[in-house]
Order: sequence, then C-alpha cells, then structure tokens
Amino acid sequence: MTTTNPQHESSAAGWTADEVLHKLDDGLPQGEIPAALFGNADVYDRELRSVFGRCWVFLGHESEIQAKGDYVLRRIGEDNFVVVRDEDGGINVLFDACRHRGVQVCRSDSGNTSHFRCPYHGWTYNTKGNLVGAPLWRNAFGGMSKEGNGLSPAAQVASYHGLIFATLDATAPSLEEYLGGMTWYLDLVFGLNSDGIEVLGPPQRFVIDANWKSGADNFSGDDYHLGTLHRSVWEIGAFPVPFRENMLGYHVQASPGHSLSFSMAPTEDEPGPKFFGYPEDLAATFDTSRISEHQLNVARRSRVFVGNVFPNFSILALPMTEDGSSHPPTGILTIRTWQPKGPGQVEVWNWFCAYKNMSPEQKERTYRAGLGTFSMGGSFEMDDTEPWITVSRTGRSVAAEVLDFSLNYQMGMPGVGIAKQVDDWPGPGIAYWTRYEEGVQRNLFSFYSRMMQAAPGQWPDLRFPE
Amino acid sequence: MTLTKTRVPVGSALHNEVVEWLYTEAELLDDGHEAQWHQEMVSRDIVYRVPLRQTVERARGKGFAEGTYHLDETYGSLGSRVLRNQTPYAWAEDPPSRIRHFVTNVRVAEADEDAVAVRSNLLIMRTRQEQTQPQIFAGERQDLLRREEGVLRLFRRTVLLDLTVIGTHNLAMFF
Ligand code: FES
Ligand SMILES: [Fe+2]
Repeated sequence: MTTTNPQHESSAAGWTADEVLHKLDDGLPQGEIPAALFGNADVYDRELRSVFGRCWVFLGHESEIQAKGDYVLRRIGEDNFVVVRDEDGGINVLFDACRHRGVQVCRSDSGNTSHFRCPYHGWTYNTKGNLVGAPLWRNAFGGMSKEGNGLSPAAQVASYHGLIFATLDATAPSLEEYLGGMTWYLDLVFGLNSDGIEVLGPPQRFVIDANWKSGADNFSGDDYHLGTLHRSVWEIGAFPVPFRENMLGYHVQASPGHSLSFSMAPTEDEPGPKFFGYPEDLAATFDTSRISEHQLNVARRSRVFVGNVFPNFSILALPMTEDGSSHPPTGILTIRTWQPKGPGQVEVWNWFCAYKNMSPEQKERTYRAGLGTFSMGGSFEMDDTEPWITVSRTGRSVAAEVLDFSLNYQMGMPGVGIAKQVDDWPGPGIAYWTRYEEGVQRNLFSFYSRMMQAAPGQWPDLRFPE
Repeated sequence: MTLTKTRVPVGSALHNEVVEWLYTEAELLDDGHEAQWHQEMVSRDIVYRVPLRQTVERARGKGFAEGTYHLDETYGSLGSRVLRNQTPYAWAEDPPSRIRHFVTNVRVAEADEDAVAVRSNLLIMRTRQEQTQPQIFAGERQDLLRREEGVLRLFRRTVLLDLTVIGTHNLAMFF
C-alpha cells in the first residue's frame, strides 16, 4: 500500500471551507486573502448557515409597507421571507413556507392582503403568521390545535431609522448591539433631519455572475478603484470632485465587520459639495434634533459616504448627475443588498431613497441622478460588475488553489502608503486618514472569519479590544 | 397621444416606412453607431423609459410600478451614455458586446400631431467576451415616432421587459 499525502488528497478534492478559512486567518495579518474565498462552493454553503443563518440581515424600509396588510417578499440568504405589516401596525418577518408541506404561500413580490392562502391545500394564515383556517377544518383537522401551526417567524426583527432587519438566530445580540459603532454613522445619514428618509419605489433587481462579497468588499471602502474603473464619469462630468481630492478623507472600521469611508473636505469652508451634495434648501433642514454636533459637522464636510453593514447591506450617498450638460450633480442616496445566489452569483437589490421633506422636484432630481449613475444602467455602476465577474472566476479556479494564490489587501498597512491612523476622530471605531487604505476590508474579512467559525450560540466580539 | 388609434395595414406605405425606420435603427445600434442613432433618429424631446416590473397577483395588473424605472432617459442623458462609450474607459462595453436586435410583430397606427404609434416585439441577444450563453432580453416596445422636418424621429419609447429580475450584469446597451 502506498501512503497518501493528505495535503495532496485535499487539493485534488478542492479545499474545504475550513482550509480556506485557515488560510484567511493566516494571511490577514499580512494583508493577504485567499482568492478561493470568492468562489469556493464549500465556503459558500457554510456562509448560508454561519453568516446569513445568524447575522442581522437587511430586508427593506418601513416606508415600503406603510399600510396594514402591506407586504414585500424578501430574502435571508437564499430563503424567502414575507415582511408584512399586520392589523396592529406591527412588522412581521415570516418564513415563506406552509406548515403543512412547506409550499410557498406568498407568490408576489409585493402587495396588500389580510391573509396568505397556501395554493396546495388551502391552509390560511393571517398577517401575524397565525394559522386561521383550512378547508373542511372539522373533518380534516378537528381536534388539532391551530396554535403552533403558523408560519415560522424570524427569531428577531428590529428596525433602525426605518431600516428593517431580521435574524434567524435567537441567541443573536440585539440589532443595536450588533450594529455597534455603525449606528453613529447610520444616524448621520438617515437621521440628518427629523423627517428621516423614505424609499422611492420598489428596488431594482439584477443578477451578476459574481460573489456577493465583492459588493460588500467594494462598499466597505474601495475608493482607489474610482480613478481607473470609473474614469469615464469624470470625462462626462457626472461627479464633481477630482479623483485625487476624492481620495482625501477617512476610512472607518465602525465596529467589527462594519466598515465605511468618507470623502471629506479638509475644512468646513472648502468650496465644493457639502452634505453629500444635497441642495442648500434641503441642507438647511439638517439639524441636531436627532444627532450630535459632531455628527452634523462630519456630514457637512462630507462629499461621499460609502459603507457596508455586515454581511450584505450597503449604503452610498454622494453628489451625482445623469446629464452633466443640463444638471449639476445633486445628492443621491442608494441602499442595496448583495443577495447570495450561489458561490458565483449575486442578485443586487437597489433602492433609491430621499429625505421625506424633500420637494417633489428634489425627489425627482435625486431619483433621476441616482438612476442614471448608481443603477444597473447607470454610468457609474455599470462598470463595477465587469471586474467582479472575474474575481469570482479567479475564486473558483483550480489555479488559485494549486498556486495557493492570495489577493493583496495591504494598502495602508504600516509602511505601505500614506494612510495613518488618527486619534482625534469624533466618531466611534478605528479611523484612518486618507482613503489609500484597505483596513476597512480587512475588518470585513476578519469579522467574517470569526463569524464563520463561531460555534452555535457563541458570538464573536462586537467591540474592538480597548 | 395614445396607442389606440386604428392600425394601418401591414404592407401599406406607412407601415413600410416604419419598418424601414426600425430596421435602420436596429442596424445602427447593432453596428455600434450609437452616436449617429442619437443624432439622426432621436427627437430632442425624447422620453425613453424602461419601467421597473414586479411579480404581482393577476388582479394587480402587469406589475409595472408607477414612476420607477431601470432607465429613464432624456436626449441629454442618452447623449451622456453615448459620450461615455466614446471614452477609452467605458469598460462595461469595451471590449464591446455582440448585440443583436430582433424586431418583429410591428403594429403601426396613426396618432395625432404628425406622429405614428408603433408597438413591436423586441428580442435582444447579447454575448460578451468568450461567453457562448447569450444574455437575452425580450419585451415590447411602445414607440411614438414623430415627423420632424420631414423625417421620423423617436419621440417616446417605453420598453416593457418580460423580466422582473434582470438577468444581466448591466444595461450598457440601448433598447
Ligand atoms: S402544503 Fe400548504 S396547505 Fe398543504
Ligand atoms: Fe465602483
């Protein structure tokens, strides 16, 4: 008998999730990430359970389900959940699977209803998910309790600034605890005035042959790609801040997993866009009723905000125009999710938001500017998807495994580039000035690794060590 | 202006003229002459839209959500897209896709103000790089062509796609 070399054996079968995660842990301190993270099927299966099966996942905005009975169909991982406002005004997140045989009971993307009726045998549930009836109940089920036969709710549901999140893990910390330092930054975008925001219609949805983490990685603060991949937007006058200046600002690891980036003017008096480019009459309504003076000041100096709430919820605010010859750039706010759809596919859900107190004209302007730039047909975003497709191709390649191919995430590490950690940043988390920095992504992947390897019931630290 | 006017027969002079126009347009777009299409075939007052669609119950109609779009273009914003593609940094279409417009079931009706209402079925096949599997868009175009100084120009276009989730990584092409 010949002895088998276990290392050889495992590479012939492809790396397991554990092997990829160990490589991630080994590489991260040097700023290296195994390419296989973006394509390995075993890793992906683990993510559905350990990341999407446990973390707080964004599902929608309260303004999408304003009336009693309003519902939208959304996803946690690959599974459908009905997000519905019940007759008492509460928000329920219900697993879209009939108790009887597991059939889908909600077959529309959105609507308004008093109940959901299963098409198979007719079990009927109310908007709280309770089983309220079934055909010929007495003959068929007389004696059986309806209680305990309702639709399965998510373990926990909570909103922050109207943003609805849910988790399947009953042991998950509260949403606010989970968001940690990120709340400070969500406040300064969504809580800028007392009216808050609303979504401008249902989300755009489109599918890319890419891994969901490419979106999370990019929105954690990949500003460096703008100068090359998005060079065309300067040529057509879609964005008002020159590339080099736009690299000035801060990278923030808000708390473990959640990262963001600000393009920021060095001082308040700097000419150019303030408050992400929102018009002055709107900016005049931005106040400190819900946020601090520090938060208002950061927002005032900000030209771009881009961030990712772990795992797959991203936010972007910046000045844009779809037609530079007719309209100067104006502030847009898009929120999106990177819905996993297999190791090599992601479905993007893209919503445009506006502050509720904007005039109809301002809403129209921000919508058109957003649509023409940060949407699947937009001048800014349409280029993003091209490289991500090849990241996932590299991620599933045999060569990446055989060559032990790792990706370089070293920007901003000691001795690499000009970015330096700052200690006078007013917000929570770890901040770096300038944006030539990839600590934001290392933060994403280091929390990701801990989440992927956490035992059931155990949660990784949600605060940085002091 | 509506699309409910009486149809003109297939093979009539007006129908032929419209079909010629649609074929010319498809040829310009398939051959990558977007700037010429924009310049010569598009009205300066164009409203060019691809509405957002959802899967909804039959009683709620076809699922097009009012006032929401994948694309909502004016002459200027279409011009921006054309201009963008002329820069050496329009990676989404450089190297360019192979795009083919199939235009069928052309139904023509006279409308008011020197305009012609046209409904047609559209199938776009797009292949990128070494892909053998095309990206496919099927849908209906509802156009108004208006006679401006003797030539027909595209004045209104609504593209009603048969998809709710778009199965392609971007909309860098023209419908
Ligand atoms: S599966 Fe739903 S009623 Fe039987
Ligand atoms: Fe980008």
